Amino acid sequence: MANVSATADSNTGPVSTGPVVRSGGNPFRFLGALSLGDYLAIAPFVIFALMFLLVPTLGLVVGAFVDAQGNFTLQNIAGLDDPQIMRAFTISVEISAITALLGSGIGLVIALAVIRGGLPSAMRSSLVTFSGVASNFAGLPLAFAFIATLGRLGLVTIILKTLFGFDLSRSFNVISFWGLAVTYLYFQIPLMILIIAPAIDGIKKEWNEAAATLGATNRQFWLWVGLPILWPNLLGSLSLLFANAFGAIATAYALTGSSLNIVPILLYAQIQGDVLHNPGLGAALALGMIVITAFANVIYLVVRTRAERWLR
Amino acid sequence: MKRGSRFWSWVIFGLTVAYFILPLIATFEFSLRIRREGYTFDAYAIVFADPKFQQTFLYSIVIGICTIIVGLLITVPAAYYVRLKAPQLRPIIEFVTLLPLVIPAIILVFGYIRLYNSSSILPLTNSNLGTDVLLTFAYVALALPYMYRAVDTGLRTIDVRTLTEAANILGASQVTIISRVIFPNIIVAVLSGAFLTLAIVIGEFTIASLLNRQVFGVYMQNIGANKAYTPQALAVVSFVITWGAMGMIQLLARFAPKTARTT
Amino acid sequence: MKSKWLGMVSVTALMVGAQVSGAFAAGLDDLVAAAKKEGSLTTIALPHDWCGYGAVIDAFKAKYPEITINELNPDAGSGDEIEAIKANKGNTGPQAPDVIDVGLSFGPSAKADGLIQPYKVSTWDSIPDSAKDADGYWYGDYYGVLSFLVNDDIVKTAPKSWADLKNSEYANSFALTGDPRVSNQAIQSVYAAGLANGGQPGKDAGEKGLAFFAELNKATNFVPVIGKAASVAQGTTPIVVNWDYNALAWRDGFQGNPKAQVIVPSDAVVAGVYIQAISAFAPHPNAAKLWMEYLYSDEGQLGWLKGYCHPIRFNDLASKKAVPADLLAKLPDAALYAKAVFPSLDEQAAAKEAITKNWDASVGANVK
Repeated sequence: MANVSATADSNTGPVSTGPVVRSGGNPFRFLGALSLGDYLAIAPFVIFALMFLLVPTLGLVVGAFVDAQGNFTLQNIAGLDDPQIMRAFTISVEISAITALLGSGIGLVIALAVIRGGLPSAMRSSLVTFSGVASNFAGLPLAFAFIATLGRLGLVTIILKTLFGFDLSRSFNVISFWGLAVTYLYFQIPLMILIIAPAIDGIKKEWNEAAATLGATNRQFWLWVGLPILWPNLLGSLSLLFANAFGAIATAYALTGSSLNIVPILLYAQIQGDVLHNPGLGAALALGMIVITAFANVIYLVVRTRAERWLR
Repeated sequence: MKRGSRFWSWVIFGLTVAYFILPLIATFEFSLRIRREGYTFDAYAIVFADPKFQQTFLYSIVIGICTIIVGLLITVPAAYYVRLKAPQLRPIIEFVTLLPLVIPAIILVFGYIRLYNSSSILPLTNSNLGTDVLLTFAYVALALPYMYRAVDTGLRTIDVRTLTEAANILGASQVTIISRVIFPNIIVAVLSGAFLTLAIVIGEFTIASLLNRQVFGVYMQNIGANKAYTPQALAVVSFVITWGAMGMIQLLARFAPKTARTT
Repeated sequence: MKSKWLGMVSVTALMVGAQVSGAFAAGLDDLVAAAKKEGSLTTIALPHDWCGYGAVIDAFKAKYPEITINELNPDAGSGDEIEAIKANKGNTGPQAPDVIDVGLSFGPSAKADGLIQPYKVSTWDSIPDSAKDADGYWYGDYYGVLSFLVNDDIVKTAPKSWADLKNSEYANSFALTGDPRVSNQAIQSVYAAGLANGGQPGKDAGEKGLAFFAELNKATNFVPVIGKAASVAQGTTPIVVNWDYNALAWRDGFQGNPKAQVIVPSDAVVAGVYIQAISAFAPHPNAAKLWMEYLYSDEGQLGWLKGYCHPIRFNDLASKKAVPADLLAKLPDAALYAKAVFPSLDEQAAAKEAITKNWDASVGANVK
């Protein structure tokens, strides 16, 4: 093998012996060390990112500030002050906030119960696996499933009527705001469980014991140790769940049709049929959506990196 | 743990199971109710015999496979070079892979329609083939985070540096290294990403419907609006596919190399 | 080569001649050839169970296999179709509709806005004058009356009139089958409710209709979603109002599960005519014209009849004894049609104005 390696050194072409950047120096100096082949390898990724991620989104952002003639204008943004559009944002924020709060709360309770409630560990792994699948259940099949569960002819409605004589359908219609909220929870709760499980894991048993030796009750432990550690994660997951619900459209479209006045459905109608009679306004609507979801996601990411410090 | 709290844990777990299992059972039960006389599988028979179902399902599968191939062509070389030569680029690449999770799908497709319509330099929406290409790239964007993470995980478990140097010694070109040395070693991870991509593509609705492509999701929405019991049959089919894909991923995870191979 | 040139020139001349004079398409074979050359037709808002459009489209495809039909957005309302023409003005891609099928009141406004082009089919003279534009810009295609579709498994006693709908037993039950801001079907439904409540034809009925729906909404009888066949069968909107041909087609689609009945309300029988038109910016004008020729031929008209619609040339066909007896038997009772009110263009325009502008404000029915 030795004589082979001797020739190897003279034969190695573009393979360098490692990254060339030195700490504190010009970070772009490494670009000089990469060969054409390296650029070609990363190029598809970069070109794709530009053409199909960055430029379209930026195009929308710019389009929100441009009128039909191409001049800069704030008219589009001002046009967002329409009662229908404002109502759409309100309802969107309402449903996102409600499902985020309920999803976080219920998800936290479930995760705590399963991870730290003294249940066999098989329950935990099956719950996490199921959550992984369920958080992807969003969309049309979920809407159909809830019609089959809580609709007038749904299984739960029928059970409630035959066993308890309670007619759910007189006061509750599954194709409504609250029906949609209950449906959204089906993927919000698993998402919460997935996010918060590692965080709960990070609350070491040793801390429990340390607190116990100092005389703290279980409630005091959670109040003074557990929750303070967890709350960044809770904030982050609230944000993520909020963004998740805000951007969702397929479930709502399948359940309530185009009647539910939420921002994604309004944008959908605008893209399909220019119902606002103003293309620039559509871009402004999109900008509003981007700002809100980006803001919520950024909170989540910032919180996540900070929180990881504690739970290392 | 105390007796009392363990009881409540079981109660909560039980309620959770009920909340999650009940809709699945209800959907299946609902789909069997298509005939007044009793439970039959007629809804499924109708669904599978429908030529539109076969057409749209096939189309979705084909687009899914194209998405996987294009996605791999984009992510594998990039992940490889970031790991091998330029770890400084990692933050940039990870930022890019986060973008599809931050930008809702409807915003993406709106951007595409504005950017690639008849009056742009690349009028993809003008032809059917162009729109299919646009759809594929849109799905690659949606699947990018998962695809990249899968490939990256795969690369982490193999000794990329040694493999590359060994292949170089034997005189292999860059293309050969990636395609015939690296790729076969990460195939298990890649398949995980591929199954996840397939699950995403099969269920997708928003982008395809705005681009007027007849995918499975669009077909499902149409049936959902017009028929009473067949949508639930479709939902069950969809669940089975998603579960199947996830199951395959779990299965593959067992075959994934845990440590660097030493051949 | 020279003969090919001559052939092309003569085809072009015929096409130009046909367009300029708007005369009957004497060169039908040339039209077929030109249409086949275009190879594609883009339609919009044609659900397959609306007037049997599914079968009509399939028959057209079978007759002219060289022409692929690209179907856009079957759930679009009449207003959406007009918007689609506007939005695709410079676009020759597959998102631009060639032909539209919209409510009567949408015709004159589309003509005024320059969105449609004239064409007179070869059977032009057999279309009643009241249902077509004299210059050939738009032309009636079929008509029906508004009716309730009731899911009998869920609703124990079916409502017989608009007034019945206010009954408290119909809580959470009644929906329109379109968005009353864009859908002709929904707008006419509100108008019919207004007529049933003593409104004068025109703007007054529109306003009384809005008041009726506001009341229904307050009583929580109204479900503010767009009712579909699925929602009727699944019980989320067990009572809807739509054209009788749609109601009958949906009832058939249920195949007995659930049992459903179609009831024409006793206090107002409103008939509605729909019209066909070719987009002024149609990317495939010849295919569009061929489509019109097909729809207005006996074959096309009977295709609509199979879907429970009364085709516009019904009287002409009946006098020629061209209507099969079994199809005739399946149509709704002719006595109902005797009572039917056909709102005039002006009445419809005034009512449409009132309803579309004020729906949000006066009814305020957002999905709660």
